[in-house]
Amino acid sequence: MRSDTFLQLDRVSVAGGDTTIVHDASLAVVKGEFHGLLGANGAGKTSLLRLLYFDARPSAGRIRLMGRQQDNWPRLDWAQMVGVLVQGGGLLNGLRLRDIVEIGLNSSRNGRHRIGEALEIAGLSDIANRPAEHLSGGELQRAFMAQLLARDPELYVLDEPTNHLDLHYQLILLDEVKRRGKTVLASLHDLSIAARYCDRVSVMDQGRIVAQGKTESILTPDRLAQTYRIAAHMDQGVLRVQGPLV
Amino acid sequence: MQPSSSAALSLGVALLFLSMLAGILWGTAELSWAERLHVLTRSDDAPRGVSLIIWQWRVPRVLAVALIGAMLALAGVLMQSTLRNPMADPYIMGLSSGASAAAVAALIWLPEGVVQMIGVPVISFLGAGVAFAMTLLLSVRRGHSLDPNIVILAGVAISLMFQSVTSFFLYIGDPHASRSALGWLMGSAAGADWADIPVLVAGFGLIAVPAFRYAPSLDAMLLGDQRALALGVRVDRLRVLVFTGTVLLTGLAVSVAGIVGFVGLILPHLARLLAGARHRVLLPLATVLGALTLVIVDLLCRTLLAPEELPLGVLMALFAAPPFILILRRARRAV
Repeated sequence: MRSDTFLQLDRVSVAGGDTTIVHDASLAVVKGEFHGLLGANGAGKTSLLRLLYFDARPSAGRIRLMGRQQDNWPRLDWAQMVGVLVQGGGLLNGLRLRDIVEIGLNSSRNGRHRIGEALEIAGLSDIANRPAEHLSGGELQRAFMAQLLARDPELYVLDEPTNHLDLHYQLILLDEVKRRGKTVLASLHDLSIAARYCDRVSVMDQGRIVAQGKTESILTPDRLAQTYRIAAHMDQGVLRVQGPLV
Repeated sequence: MQPSSSAALSLGVALLFLSMLAGILWGTAELSWAERLHVLTRSDDAPRGVSLIIWQWRVPRVLAVALIGAMLALAGVLMQSTLRNPMADPYIMGLSSGASAAAVAALIWLPEGVVQMIGVPVISFLGAGVAFAMTLLLSVRRGHSLDPNIVILAGVAISLMFQSVTSFFLYIGDPHASRSALGWLMGSAAGADWADIPVLVAGFGLIAVPAFRYAPSLDAMLLGDQRALALGVRVDRLRVLVFTGTVLLTGLAVSVAGIVGFVGLILPHLARLLAGARHRVLLPLATVLGALTLVIVDLLCRTLLAPEELPLGVLMALFAAPPFILILRRARRAV
């Protein structure tokens, strides 16, 4: 293990009922790097990330943050270090947009001074007092994005952040996170976004990590064919797609 | 706290104080104003009969009703937040129907001496506990966290089952016993006395203090299970704690006043409309509004058709129906 390893997953498996969803996955995220988790739908990316906010427990293997085992971290301390952007329904009646951002700070006990800046970045300053039930789906997603930016954790865990944000705010969020120089682990299905932001990537297939390394060395035509069943290659950080493989 | 929230809370407390005073001063007994105030201020040399009515009958009853209203509203906020369902209330887990089925069964089938020895409150409490355990058992799946929707469905199923059991008992039971059981089912605070007060205060304090402490976690629960987990909340543990607290609050309330619905459903919504959904404000405001409402409704029960007394549960349900329909119309789920 390198001395600057921030997050270490050591031969981790995740079981779902009688089946194993993640097999024997090992992954090291170095402090300050932007690490992408790639793979087709159902490859196990989300299941792996769920481990990082206690929504799933490993059936085997160990997870360490800054060298300390996950189970030895008090939950609130862990939550202060590891910030997550996930989807999920809630009962938001009676909350204002600003409340959504503030609730994220209650457990981390600091960062109140960053609320204004986070709302500004997410383009929400003008509607901060709007009731949550009057917000559009996109505005709500940006509210949770602002919550994460206000919390400003050491490790940003982003589960398909590009899914529910429009392109403008996808780039704003990822640029901002990159600018802050914090450690990032993000599952991404958009390979152009991966090529633009990731220092290193891990590729998952059928619950296993099948490749790991610097982005440009992993996103090869062979690997793209095998993982995504497409004919494509990277050209100076841009994905050129010829078409699907049949 | 926003200025508007603290204004709503202060106004609620003031109105609660006034309504309690009204509950103590008004009633079926014909007392002169001089007598009423005299007893309240200098009870030592007041006529014994008047003193008895005010101090041994009305004061404990008003206190008990206020505490029961507060407890049911508190339970309602907790249930709605942790199940994230605006229609959840203390009775959604089948608690009231479990309590009623047990009480009705005891009143109809058990010898009167046995029922008096154990006490209807204890029996109803046990019934609520059994219903709660059954709801939880139906909701738990190995290796999965508690799904709020499954909990609600299980609660509804258990409720319906116990309601049928209650109807069956009432149908086949001896008419006299069935009538007394029906009276209990409609709720009344007429039996409340000083002995109930310390128990209610202790039960309320036991849940209200930690609930206030957990306000940030309850806030996080509103955002969804995954987001709450990501903010460091132990979601399943908090949910089980809340459910257990709700059983205690509801069981105690039912044991003193029988079945009084709607307080836990309507008042949390009213509080949310007035002061928003953040629990540091919502919990105290809903609690005060619950107490205020039930004190007023109980006063109306005693005075509307005096000397006849109306059942508390029935009148409460009558008043609650219009706001309930409004809530149904407003109920929209965000995200």
